[in-house]
Amino acid sequence: MDEPAATSIPHSASNAPSLELLSRTQPHIFINPLKKIDEGQDVSTFLISKAYGDIMTFLLQLNRAMFPLYNQDVSTSGKKRVQTWDVDCQAIEYSETVRNLRHLLEELDQIIDEVPPDPGPRRFGNASFKKWYQTVEERTSGLLKSRLSKSTLQYPHDSDVTAESELSSYFLGSFGSSQRLDYGSGHELSFLAFLGCIWKLGGFTSSSEHPHPGNDERAIVLGLIVPYLTLIRRLILTYTLEPAGSHGVWGLDDHSFIPYIFGSAQYGPAISPSDQRPIEGSRPNAPDPADVAKISAVERQRHQNMYFGAIGFIHDVKKGPFWEHSPMLYDISGIRTGWGKINKGMIKMYNAEVLSKFPVVQHFPFGSLFSFDQDPNAKPPPTSIHAANQPVRDGFGSSSAEKVAAPRESPQLGTPAPWASRATSVPGVEAVTAAPRASRGPPIPGPSVGTAAPWARGRTAMINPGDGAAAPLARKGTPSSAAESETAAPWASSQPAAASAALSPTRFPQSGARPPPPPAGRPIPPEAAGDDAAAQSMPPPTRAPWTKPP
Amino acid sequence: MSDLDKAISELRACKIIPEPQVREICHKARELLIEEANVVQVDAPVTICGDIHGQFHDLMELFRVGGDVPDTNYLFMGDFVDRGFYSLESFLLLLCLKVRYPDRITLIRGNHESRQITTVYGFYDECLRKYGSANVWRYCCEVFDYLALGALVLGTSSTLEPSFTDQSQATEAVDDDVEIEIMNSRNEITARFPRSRRRLFESDGLNSSPPGTPSKAGPPGTGATSDSGGSHLSGGAVLCVHGGLSPLIDSVDKIRLLDRKQEVPHEGAMCDLLWSDPDEIDTWGLSPRGAGFLFGPDIVKRFNHLNDLSLIARAHQLVMEGFKEMFDSSIVTVWSAPNYCYRCGNVAAILELGEDTSNGGVVSRSNGDPGRSSQAFSPNQALRSGPGRRYRVFEAAPQDPRGMPAKKPVADYFL
Repeated sequence: MDEPAATSIPHSASNAPSLELLSRTQPHIFINPLKKIDEGQDVSTFLISKAYGDIMTFLLQLNRAMFPLYNQDVSTSGKKRVQTWDVDCQAIEYSETVRNLRHLLEELDQIIDEVPPDPGPRRFGNASFKKWYQTVEERTSGLLKSRLSKSTLQYPHDSDVTAESELSSYFLGSFGSSQRLDYGSGHELSFLAFLGCIWKLGGFTSSSEHPHPGNDERAIVLGLIVPYLTLIRRLILTYTLEPAGSHGVWGLDDHSFIPYIFGSAQYGPAISPSDQRPIEGSRPNAPDPADVAKISAVERQRHQNMYFGAIGFIHDVKKGPFWEHSPMLYDISGIRTGWGKINKGMIKMYNAEVLSKFPVVQHFPFGSLFSFDQDPNAKPPPTSIHAANQPVRDGFGSSSAEKVAAPRESPQLGTPAPWASRATSVPGVEAVTAAPRASRGPPIPGPSVGTAAPWARGRTAMINPGDGAAAPLARKGTPSSAAESETAAPWASSQPAAASAALSPTRFPQSGARPPPPPAGRPIPPEAAGDDAAAQSMPPPTRAPWTKPP
Repeated sequence: MSDLDKAISELRACKIIPEPQVREICHKARELLIEEANVVQVDAPVTICGDIHGQFHDLMELFRVGGDVPDTNYLFMGDFVDRGFYSLESFLLLLCLKVRYPDRITLIRGNHESRQITTVYGFYDECLRKYGSANVWRYCCEVFDYLALGALVLGTSSTLEPSFTDQSQATEAVDDDVEIEIMNSRNEITARFPRSRRRLFESDGLNSSPPGTPSKAGPPGTGATSDSGGSHLSGGAVLCVHGGLSPLIDSVDKIRLLDRKQEVPHEGAMCDLLWSDPDEIDTWGLSPRGAGFLFGPDIVKRFNHLNDLSLIARAHQLVMEGFKEMFDSSIVTVWSAPNYCYRCGNVAAILELGEDTSNGGVVSRSNGDPGRSSQAFSPNQALRSGPGRRYRVFEAAPQDPRGMPAKKPVADYFL
C-alpha cells in the first residue's frame, strides 16, 4: 500500500548493528565448543559474554530485516511503495550458500522417509527418532562438506580444530534430543547459532554490496529458518516429539519461539533503511492480531507469515478452545498498538525466557565463534534478578517461598519479567550443600513426557540403599578425577557389567566404559564432571523449570 | 447451604471463589491434613486416580465415570496442578471435597505440589492471572506441605464387585476368577482377564523367598508385616504413592518416619517417592528427570514381598492407554488426564478396588479353590495375589462451548 513519501531515503545500508565477520587477514583459532554454564550463576556470566552479544546482535539484525521496507524507487505519483517480506515472497535473492543449505535441509527431511516411526507400543515419543538422529549424526560431516564451501569449512585456522568442529556442534544441537525424544527452544537457539557461525565466517555475505540492504538476512530467515521450522514440525509430528518439560498452557508455545519474532516483524510498519526498529504500529494490510483464534484467518495467513505459521501448527496439534490451551498467545492477540509492539515484546520475552534461563542455555556450547569470554562492551547484566533466581546447585527450603514471589514487586530496569522471578533457588543455601557431592552429571533424558526437576542437571548425593542387599549405586572415579573426565552417569547398579549394558544403550550412552564401581554398600558421592557428551546434544530447554520459554 | 457447600457448587461450575474463602478453606484443610500420617490408611472400596494437571473438565468427566463424591471413595495420587488451565479450580474443588468429606477422599502429594515446580510449570502464573496476586498460590503451597506422601489401601477384595452402575442393569455377578476388568466411559466392559494367568506365572518357580525374608506377624504394610489381610479373598494391601520407590526406603514404616511437612527436597527419600519411575532395568538407575530414580522389577517385587503388598499404584507418567501394569502386575501406573496438554491423544483411567466383605462377616463366600487359602498364608510366597482391579477408561470431556473470557492485561513484556 502506498504511503506519502518521506523526504530523503539514504541509500547506504543502515547503521543498525550487524554480526561482525571474522577478519580473514590472519588464521583463526577455532575451539571445540564446550559447555560452560554449569550452574545458575553462570548465566550472569553468559549475559556479559561475547556469545550473548553476538546472539542478540544476529537476532536483531535478522529481525530488523523482516520489517516491510519502503521501496527506494519512488513511483511516478510521488508515493513510496512498500515491499513486504512474506514467506512466499519472490523478491529475495538466495546466495549459493543459502541454496546449498536449503538442499541440506531437504536431505534431512528425506532421512525422515528413510526412518519411518516405529509402529510398536510406546509411552509417547517414538524411539525411531533416535535412528533419525543417529543417521544425521553419521552423515553430518559429509553433509556439511557437500553443502558448505571450502572457504567456510576450511576457514584459515591455526590449530587442528577447524571451523567444521564448531559448525557441526551447533548443527547437531538443532534438531531435538534423541535421548529424551523431545524438542524445545534450546534446539532452535542452536540452529540460530549455526547460522550465526556461517555468517561470521563470511558464508552468507554477498561479495559485492547487495543493492537491497537486508537481502542476506531475509534470505536466512525465509530461505533457511522457514524450511528449518517446516522440518522441525515434521519431526515433531512423525516421531511425536515431546514438548520437552512443557509448561502446558502457561507457555508461549510448546516448541518454538523465533517464528513469533520474525512473524511479528513481517507485519510491522514499513521502515526505511536508516530508521530505528519500530516499536509499534503495523503495516496497513496486516491482519488483526485477534485473528490468531480464527481458524479461517489462520489458514489464510499461515503460508505467508511465520507468526501465523506457528499458530497454524498449534491449531493442527491441539484440540480445544484456543484461549484455553494458549492463553498467552490469546492475551497477546488483544494488543491494540500493532505488530511492532508485539515484536518488541517478543524480543524482550526471548531475552528473558530463553537466553536468560539456565535450563535453556545450560547446554549451549561455547567455542571461538560464540565465545564465553567477557564482552568488553557489555553492559552489566541488565537484570540481576535473573542471576539471583537461577538455580544454584542444591537446596530449596520452604523458606524460599517468599523469595519466589518477592522479585515481582521489586522495581526493575529493562525487562520486568514476571517469569524472571519464578526461577527459584535459595541464594545462600548453596553453601550448606556438601560440596563434594555436587555432581553435574548430564541431565540424561529418556523418552518421557514427564516433568524435569528444575534443578536437574545432574544428581547429587546418593544414598545408602538401606539393607545392603543390592547397593543400588556405585560410581566411578573420585571427585578429583572427575572434573576432566567425561561424565558417566554418576552412579549405577552394583552389577557393573550387567547394569551398564542394560542402561547404556538407551539412557547412559556415555557410561559404557566405566571402571568397576567401588564396593557396594557405601555410596560414593557423584563427582562434578564436565560433560562433553551432553554439550553435544543440547537437551531441550523445556524440561528445566525456569526455562519456560514456549 | 453452608459456605462450604456453596464454594463446592461454585467450583463445580468452574468458577473461582473469593480469596478470603480460599484462605479459610486452605486453613481448614491444613488442620485436617496435619493429623494424617505420612502414609494414610484407606479402606477399600476406593477409586484410585492419577495426575489431573488442572484439566478441570476432565476431572468432571472422571467423577461422571467413576461416581460422584461422596458416593464413591476417591484417592488422588497428586499432580493436581500445573500445565492445565484450571489448576486452581481443580485443586480447590478437591480440597473443598476433602474438607467436606474427609473420610471419602484422600489426597496425596505429587511432585508438582511444590513451590519450586509450580513457579515453573504454570500454577503460579495461573494464580497471578486469576487473582492478581500470589496470595492464593501461597495458601495452596502451604497446604501442599501437609499432604500425605502415600496411602495404604487395606481390605481389598481379590474379586471384582459388580460395577456400581451394573446394579440397575441387573448384570450377573462378576466371576470370581476375573482379576482385571476394563470398562469404558459408557460403563461397558471392554476386556476381562482371568486370574489363571497369574497362577501359571506363580508356578513358574518364582515363589521362592529371597534370603532374609522376615517372618510375618503384624498387619500389612508395617515393619512387622504379615499376611493378615484377612480372608483368603483378600486382595492384599496396595501402596499408593505419586512417583515410586526410593533406595532409602525399604519398608513402608520408613516412609512413616519422614518429616514431610516441608517443601519437596531436591533429593532424599521424600523426593524419590514423588519423583521416581519404574523402568526395565536391574535394581536402580539414574532418572532422566534429574530427581528421583529409576527402579527395576526386582526392586518392586522385593519391596512388595517384604511389606506384604500385593500392588503398588502410582501415577507420574503419561501412559497412552490410561494405565499400565508392569513387572508381573506388581506395580501399576494410573494416569487420569485425558488428551494431556490438549495434544497427547491419550485416554485416561481410574482404578477401582473393591472391598473384601468376607472378612467383615457379611458374606462368607467360597470360590471353591481350596489351594488358595493355604497359598495365601504361605510365608514363602514371593508375589502376593493382587486385588481384583477394575479400570475405567475415559476420554477428554466434550468441547462444549466454554465461553470465551475477556482478554486479560498482557504480560509485562508487551506493555
